Amino acid sequence: MKYFQFIIIILLSPLVQGLIKKFKADMQGRVGPGILQPYLDLIRLMKKDMVISYVTSWIFRAAPYIVFASTIAAAMLIPVITIETPFSMMGDIIALIYVLAAGRFFMALSGLDAGTAFGGEGSSREMTVAILVEPMIMLSVFTAAISAGSTNISKIAGSETLYSPSHILALSAFIVAVIAETGRIPVDNPDTHLELTMIHEGMILEYSGKYLALMEWAHYMKQMLLFTLAADIFFPLGIAAGGDLSALAASSAIYICKMVFMAFLMALIESTRAKMRFFQLPSLLGGAFVLAVLSLITFIMMGK
Amino acid sequence: MKDWIQAFSVIDFISVGILLTAIAMNALKRLESCVRAYTLNSLLLASLIAIVAFMIGEAHLYIASFVTLLSKGILIPVFLRRIVKQLKVTHDVEPYMSNAMSLFISGILVAVVYGSLKAGIIVTGFSGNVLQISIAVILIGLFIMISRRKAITQVIGLLVMENGLFLAGFSLTFGMPLIIELGVLFDMLMGVIILGIFAIQIKKAFTSSDLDKLTVLKG
Amino acid sequence: MDPKNLIYTGIFIYLSAAASFIILPKGKRYTYILSTLGALVIAVSGLIMMYFQPVKIFSSHIAPGFDFLFKGDAFSGFFIFTISILAFAVSVYSTGYTKNMKNQGMMGFFFNLFILSMIAVVLSGTIITFLISWETMSIVSYFLVTFDRDVKSARAGLVYAVMTHIGTAFIIALFLILYKYTGSMRFAEIKVMASGIPVQVRHLIFIFSIIGFGTKAGIIPLHTWLPRAHPAAPSNISSLMSGVMIKTGIYAFIRIVMDIMGQGPEWWGITIIVIGAVSSVLGVLYALMEHDIKRLLAYHSVENIGIILLGLGASMIFRVNDLYPLSALALIAALYHTLNHALFKGLLFLGAGSVMHAAHTKNMEEMGGLIKSMPYTGLFFLVGSVSICALPPFNGFVSEWLTFQSLLLGFKSQSIISKIITPLGGAALALTGALAAACFVKAFGISFLGMPRSGKAENAKESSIYMITGMGLLAVLCLVFGIFPGIVIEILSPAVFILTGSNGALAEGVFINISETVSAISPAAIIVAMLVLSIAAAVFIIIAGGRKKIKYGDSWDCGIPALGPRMQYTATAFTKPLRIIFRRLYLPKRELRVSYVVKPFFVKSIKYSAEITPFFDRYIYEPVTDFIQRTAGKVRLLQSGSLQLYLAYILITLVLLLIFGT
Repeated sequence: MKYFQFIIIILLSPLVQGLIKKFKADMQGRVGPGILQPYLDLIRLMKKDMVISYVTSWIFRAAPYIVFASTIAAAMLIPVITIETPFSMMGDIIALIYVLAAGRFFMALSGLDAGTAFGGEGSSREMTVAILVEPMIMLSVFTAAISAGSTNISKIAGSETLYSPSHILALSAFIVAVIAETGRIPVDNPDTHLELTMIHEGMILEYSGKYLALMEWAHYMKQMLLFTLAADIFFPLGIAAGGDLSALAASSAIYICKMVFMAFLMALIESTRAKMRFFQLPSLLGGAFVLAVLSLITFIMMGK
Repeated sequence: MKDWIQAFSVIDFISVGILLTAIAMNALKRLESCVRAYTLNSLLLASLIAIVAFMIGEAHLYIASFVTLLSKGILIPVFLRRIVKQLKVTHDVEPYMSNAMSLFISGILVAVVYGSLKAGIIVTGFSGNVLQISIAVILIGLFIMISRRKAITQVIGLLVMENGLFLAGFSLTFGMPLIIELGVLFDMLMGVIILGIFAIQIKKAFTSSDLDKLTVLKG
Repeated sequence: MDPKNLIYTGIFIYLSAAASFIILPKGKRYTYILSTLGALVIAVSGLIMMYFQPVKIFSSHIAPGFDFLFKGDAFSGFFIFTISILAFAVSVYSTGYTKNMKNQGMMGFFFNLFILSMIAVVLSGTIITFLISWETMSIVSYFLVTFDRDVKSARAGLVYAVMTHIGTAFIIALFLILYKYTGSMRFAEIKVMASGIPVQVRHLIFIFSIIGFGTKAGIIPLHTWLPRAHPAAPSNISSLMSGVMIKTGIYAFIRIVMDIMGQGPEWWGITIIVIGAVSSVLGVLYALMEHDIKRLLAYHSVENIGIILLGLGASMIFRVNDLYPLSALALIAALYHTLNHALFKGLLFLGAGSVMHAAHTKNMEEMGGLIKSMPYTGLFFLVGSVSICALPPFNGFVSEWLTFQSLLLGFKSQSIISKIITPLGGAALALTGALAAACFVKAFGISFLGMPRSGKAENAKESSIYMITGMGLLAVLCLVFGIFPGIVIEILSPAVFILTGSNGALAEGVFINISETVSAISPAAIIVAMLVLSIAAAVFIIIAGGRKKIKYGDSWDCGIPALGPRMQYTATAFTKPLRIIFRRLYLPKRELRVSYVVKPFFVKSIKYSAEITPFFDRYIYEPVTDFIQRTAGKVRLLQSGSLQLYLAYILITLVLLLIFGT
């Protein structure tokens, strides 16, 4: 079981997406699609023919696989319901961030491959957001890593959590990072194809059929993965330490609650915030970066 | 004979003669007279060496005297005269300043030398004046180079300086080893020839042997 | 075989390679074959040196002060190994690259001499041999920078020569100080007596070595020659310069500060971390704004030197705190990155050379779509890009990960300042990584993907087999050193051991395991996982959706018809958001010139130009050079050109001496 916990992320990630959409619809007073809609979307895309541009090269065709595989490889590194992961020994948080970055690198390249303006715009913006987010993610993770004395995610999740000021500051920075990474309001609008606002959608604009399905699925997985990571690092309470069944069952229940909470939080933020202008983002993300720095300094000064 | 030389302090007289001929060059207006003054200067130098050689009986000083006579007293003046003729320049030396001024500055230079080397360093024991005079001659030679416009007067200034240097070396050590002196003389000769050629070339290129024109070469 | 004899053989081969064109009229062809042989022989001897006792290669004592000594220990061995690996690949590449070059013979001569001089630098055992080798290296590289005889190269060469000699001035001053206090020319003897040097003087030596060796390494703000000189040189030379020559600065810095001076106060390490962070972030920020592919790569060298310094600084901090295994870990990170940077930067410059060879332009805005006409160059350039962005499973990832780990472990040091500075250095490294990724998405995406942006790019042809082989070798090494970090760490440990007294003990085959933090990675596992998963995904979508046919058509782009190459995103546009976000740093200027036929209705032409202010050149170097120019202008009045005046100076001096001398 413990070797296959990453499958939970693969299988349930569209459900989390559906859940967020449902919550959002509720908050906005709409009925909205059912929570299984993302699964149906993926299946529909799988069955469709593909149209590929003449301009593209093998990068365009390889990118969906690389993005998909790198996201799953990242998912293998993290503990979901038990801290014994398939790569328990090398479940390193920095490695995880870089594996995700590899996926993003190829996604951005694929955006440029078709030689379109929107693709290039999407890539450019995605990389810009990544530049602002990555140091912040690192710093907020550093606080947790230093307090656990390791960058191993299982070790961080398994260590005694201290709910201290530094912890809260790091968590808030991390939440902002998750919003930015998953392409949600106020950073990006996941529901739009409005040319001037899209980031993630811009890059995958030329994809269709199966490739699009892989890209979308990878995106759902990345979202759930980041939620799980937030849970592992900042409120690992209740995660199973070993592999016996009763502990796993309890841990699974707690995990589901955490995911529902995260989905709710995202929907809440999305419903109550307006999308920011792209060039206002630096003030939001820069502010979060300052929070992360503060969290580190308070941790070192106060020792907790 | 030796007592004579001692009693009338011939050595001092000759060295003062060297100084005077050097100073005189500042007052001479014509190139030919300058060359003549230089010839006299060299002849006096050669005779001084000869007399000292006679006084202490050093064989190699005779040779030095003879070589000096040959090169500086005869060869170089002849060569200089030919250059002057070839250049077909006006015979004036065209100094930057008046003769009176030049003489005045030469006087100051001599005074500075005598003032700074007060007691005189009588290394070789035959005269207390030779070292001061030699250094004064060097400075005057340098001053001739500065105050004159023509390339040919530069050469004469350099030659006067060399005479001064020779005298200085001589007064301190009874002359350097012969081979070095020969080398210096040879060098001098070559230098004069090259400078002469240069002067002619400058004349060709700038239609004047006036060194002021060389400033246009500056980058 | 005795490494001493191997080194002699290698040097002999190099010398004959350099001389081959002089002796044989058709020797040009053999030059690079000999170079590759020489590189192989010397690489082997470097490896041997790393594992065995120090080797004394050549020693001769002519007179006091003329003490010639070449010897190699494990640390020199590592650098020799790095230099010769790159030299090998570049030699193979050069066979094809220099084929139609003018002055091939000259090129071959300087090429071999250049490699030899770098080897001499790292083998030098005394001050005098070091300075001779160092200057030879500088001068030969100057000739190579100005190899293309045009105004731009000459200008770049001038800046390079001036900067490098400012650096050398500091190095000489540093050595004079060392000699004064220890009375020895030999590094080994200086090391023994170095503890007796007064503290203030030690600080001075440290600062001088930062300036002296930092100039060669290209730290900010002494980097100004680097983005000029590296692009000006032919690409095989840029590859060597950027890949290994600037590393000799790192070598010498480690040799003087960490080996000879031993332990310094904590602020030394902190200074190095700060310099490293500033260099890495600013280096990559300036790289982002470049559209000249070689200048872009040159700025990335500044960045990577910064990353190496981050590791070095951490190592120095740990050493002060007596954490020797951690110090070894950080030093491994720095040296590993040194090797990696040599590989991928070498590869990228060779790739850029290949592109320029085919498309005859350095400007990325004129490229595009090259991956179709130059598939191998494209693939290898991609490998280099992925490596330099530190993405797994390539080699850059391992060394950056190690650097992250060592910076994170900074919290184990005593003082608060280093506890805070080290993780912030880590944040700077994260920022650098993200910026580098953006930069290479741009560099690769704009040059190789999309449609050809000009006729030059359209007519590009794949380069010759030699050039591809040269690049391929480096690309394979990038992957191998990424997947099997154990190998590299194993060969590094003796070198690290002699400098820190510990070898870190992290390598476990395909694993790296840091026992202090229980952190481990295995890039091999990541690549295996990714490969398996990709295949699984491919199989899955075929099973789930069935085989569907693929239709080819024009790009969709939200329905805009007839897309042309000029409608693509440009490199300038790609980096526009960053120009806006970091405007305080870039101080961008833009100019829009519109000319009308009938104002304001019929536009004849629109000209848009945007540029950023080169901050360091404008606000540091220009004022200094202006001041020097002005002073020189005044001093120049003395030089009137009048002979008489010059003589008058002499006379006045003489008279003054006579008056005041007594």
